[in-house]
Amino acid sequence: MLLETKNQANLILYVTNIDDNPYHFNKLFKLRDEIEALPQDCLNIKVDFHYCEFLGHYGVAFLGGLFRLIELRGGSLTFDWNTLPDKIRMNLAQNGFLYDFGFNTKPWDGNSIPYRNDLHQNMSAIADYLKYNWLGKGWVNISPRLQDAITGRVLEIYLNAFDHSQSAMGVFSCGQHYPKLGFLHLTVIDFGIGIPSSVRSLPQNLDKTANEALKWAFEPGNSTKQDSISRGAGLNLLQEFIIKNHGNLTIFSNDGYVNISDNRVIYENKCTNFRGTLINIALRCDESYYCLASEVHQLKRRLF
Amino acid sequence: MAYKIFNIVGEYAITAESGQKVYDEIHPVLFAGNPVELDFTGVKVFASLFFNVAIGQLLKDIPADKLNRLVEFTAISSDGWNVLERVITNAKHYYSDKEFRNAVDVVIAEQAATL
Repeated sequence: MLLETKNQANLILYVTNIDDNPYHFNKLFKLRDEIEALPQDCLNIKVDFHYCEFLGHYGVAFLGGLFRLIELRGGSLTFDWNTLPDKIRMNLAQNGFLYDFGFNTKPWDGNSIPYRNDLHQNMSAIADYLKYNWLGKGWVNISPRLQDAITGRVLEIYLNAFDHSQSAMGVFSCGQHYPKLGFLHLTVIDFGIGIPSSVRSLPQNLDKTANEALKWAFEPGNSTKQDSISRGAGLNLLQEFIIKNHGNLTIFSNDGYVNISDNRVIYENKCTNFRGTLINIALRCDESYYCLASEVHQLKRRLF
Repeated sequence: MAYKIFNIVGEYAITAESGQKVYDEIHPVLFAGNPVELDFTGVKVFASLFFNVAIGQLLKDIPADKLNRLVEFTAISSDGWNVLERVITNAKHYYSDKEFRNAVDVVIAEQAATL
């Protein structure tokens, strides 16, 4: 990804290949800082796709956020749609990304998972999106019961983003089905304060490193929202679900990184600092990998 | 008294607002010592925030033993039950641990003072 000067007032953003390579993530995170640092009179940016041959779902969601950030800062975007390779153009048209940025083609129902920008917390609409547009396309061999359970766990990511991120642009999402690998992915991004910054907003957490702060956020009962309601179950339930069901969860937030997979949780401090949170969840497409609680709970009487 | 949760929140039991609606209905009944049956028929998707507000909050001023006697959950999915159990474990800790509550109250007071 390159941000080049055409002349003093006009910049060109060359969108390059974006896949799940850590180098590509770092480039995106740095680009977010570059855009934030630009003076307001340099925010008339032309977007050129000449050098882009692959644009993964991470990239789609991130670019959506970047473009909205430019607009939020009072800048303007000019898209050179003619530079889009046909394959990418088709995908971005179908998933609604192009329409969201002014291209004159409405999205249609197909094999791509729609791109979304939720400025406000409309959880029913997001639940519908997860249930019908992400899981419900027929490419995941799971029962309706499991579909509902996954929807509930993934909603915790959105609830967390809206409750804690303080993002002025809401939340950006895009997904992808990888049939050969048997995985279904979803990326959720906000350009808010980041989880470590949010955790450190509590006096007792001031000295925590990014990975310590992320660990704290995943522990049951911990929440930065301090009111008269007990909280702090959502991320812990999500972690448990990922580990039990052989999925994968990756988080980049500030200079912290988490990867959760089969019986393994890695927390790391990173050199690159992303002002926001990027979460990617990858789930198996076959119910045989899943282990849901049985119905024995009906017999249990003492719950409190 | 029986409550059909679907009629209050629909098929998604996920938000604080819908949790508050349920809490507002059942809290006075339970506080007065009367039993409630919460029927989850038709409710399909559960998130922790809903239960934090609808159920966890009951432990603020109603003892656990009393709630065990008065509240009955019916037709709740195994996933919903799993979320509910976790939320109640957290809430019991939150509302019963005096040190924990005091620590939270101090934080809230400090934050309020900076506003």
